[in-house]
Amino acid sequence: MRDKRMTADEVVAELADGMTVGIGGWGSRRKPMALVRAILRSPLRDLTVVSYGGPDVGLLCAAGKVRELVYGFVSLDSIPYDPWFRRARESGELRVRELDEGMLQCGLRAAGHRLPFLPIRAGLGSDVLRVNPDLRTVRSPYDGEEVLAMPPLRLDAALVHLNRADRHGNAQYLGPDPYFDDLFCLAADRRYVSCERIVDTAELTAGGPAQSLLLNRMMVEGVVETPGGAHFTSCVPDYGRDEAFQRRYADAAADPDQWPSFVDQFLSGTETDYQAAVNAARVGA
Amino acid sequence: MARILSLADAVGEVVHDGDTVALEGFTHLIPFAAGHEIIRQGRRDLTLVRMTPDLIYDQLIGAGCARKLVFSWGGNPGVGSLHRFRDAVQNGWPVPLEIEEHSHAGMANRYVAGASGLPFAVLRGYTGTDLPAHNPNIKQITCPFTGETLTAVPALNPDTTIVHAQQADPAGNVQVWGITGVHKEAVLAAKRSLVTVEEIVDELRPRPGAMVLPGWAVTVVAEAPRGAHPSYAQGYYDRDNDYYQAWDAIGRDRDAFRDWLTETVFNNTATAGGGTR
Repeated sequence: MRDKRMTADEVVAELADGMTVGIGGWGSRRKPMALVRAILRSPLRDLTVVSYGGPDVGLLCAAGKVRELVYGFVSLDSIPYDPWFRRARESGELRVRELDEGMLQCGLRAAGHRLPFLPIRAGLGSDVLRVNPDLRTVRSPYDGEEVLAMPPLRLDAALVHLNRADRHGNAQYLGPDPYFDDLFCLAADRRYVSCERIVDTAELTAGGPAQSLLLNRMMVEGVVETPGGAHFTSCVPDYGRDEAFQRRYADAAADPDQWPSFVDQFLSGTETDYQAAVNAARVGA
Repeated sequence: MARILSLADAVGEVVHDGDTVALEGFTHLIPFAAGHEIIRQGRRDLTLVRMTPDLIYDQLIGAGCARKLVFSWGGNPGVGSLHRFRDAVQNGWPVPLEIEEHSHAGMANRYVAGASGLPFAVLRGYTGTDLPAHNPNIKQITCPFTGETLTAVPALNPDTTIVHAQQADPAGNVQVWGITGVHKEAVLAAKRSLVTVEEIVDELRPRPGAMVLPGWAVTVVAEAPRGAHPSYAQGYYDRDNDYYQAWDAIGRDRDAFRDWLTETVFNNTATAGGGTR
């Protein structure tokens, strides 16, 4: 079996300008932040990002990486709104496809099933159809009822972060929620999973029930070991959300005068530099 | 909150003549005890729905309970045909049986649509088969984006779904583990539901990967120990393969089947699947 271990920078080197990239996790929970930080360091641009958004979206907007955003929501959970997302929206420079959460899931599912659409009720009766004029409805061939036709959200690449993985791409979540990381991978042509720790395959089943093995190696092209790779989002049970750091990020993001020094301190170096700066800031605080 | 009744009262409440009834369980947790209770109560003209009609539906069909069968695969797994089912289709014995045949994926999608409150489901199945020519419920639908023709199947919303599970608590919350098949979808799609369980426990202990049917999604719960026999209940008992083998000879012969009905179903009100040996 193939050894699929890569570095975060090698993952980003396989991405290209203009790609549609799906990012797993949910809000400020189990986001592949080390892979996002690797994108921040790269010259990559004009991405279409598909996400149940959290600080992944905010940071990519801050760095000017996003041309279009497809989302069900963007939130930091304990802080309702991401300031960088707010600024990108208010500037009008960001193209957006704002969907109901259920529609986003349905679109990923349609892509995973390689279907050109799936029917869903979500979105009907709201302004989703008005703000997304590309959407269509379809009539039931049985009773003529009209439902929404959700097109597939095909992804060029998916980035997800799990607790454990083996070198072949079998990956495991140990927290309470799989989110939709499996659907992101099934919807994508190239799938990259970062994890807290790469372990032997046997250790995966020893460490949790079979149902916690969310991704199998057929769903994964690359595996990256990135301890602390979801920081500052949560990666339960390895660690919770770093609320103090998230507050620090949100304060800096809300203040254009503060932001450059935040970038200097945390986002101007490698992932190792980032983790060291976070630790130093924690000790200093 | 689901009410907890005896098996006889539960079946009496949720299964009526002429109803569309789904007994589900994918090789595992097949609700035999409830099926036998339906036979004992003499229900007629049922439309029976099941992805994989095996012995339980052979028994219900042979007992004359069914008018119609909606299914995707029928047989005695690993053994052969269902001879009561064949006798009904070929000879109308004991009563004629109409059939509506689907693919497995089509049936699963129909339950999902029913559980989701959607009027239909979309899939790529059935293409290249003769099923659409024989089943007017299988229709085509055109993708509004690509113009591609896909298959539509109508939502399935049984009057009653019956499944078997390992445990329920006194509030009627049900915990199922092992192969859960379409348990969840079939229960959520139905107007009424009965879950028979191996045992009612004071408190459900969380199990990795287990599925919980909350009490508000279930109409009635009945305790039926060994109620899935001769199929199996993970954590309780194994599949009785000898029963499936022995069924072949019983099912092939009307008299042997009548004797089996009398001995095993009608003279055994405590039946929980019931043995043939």
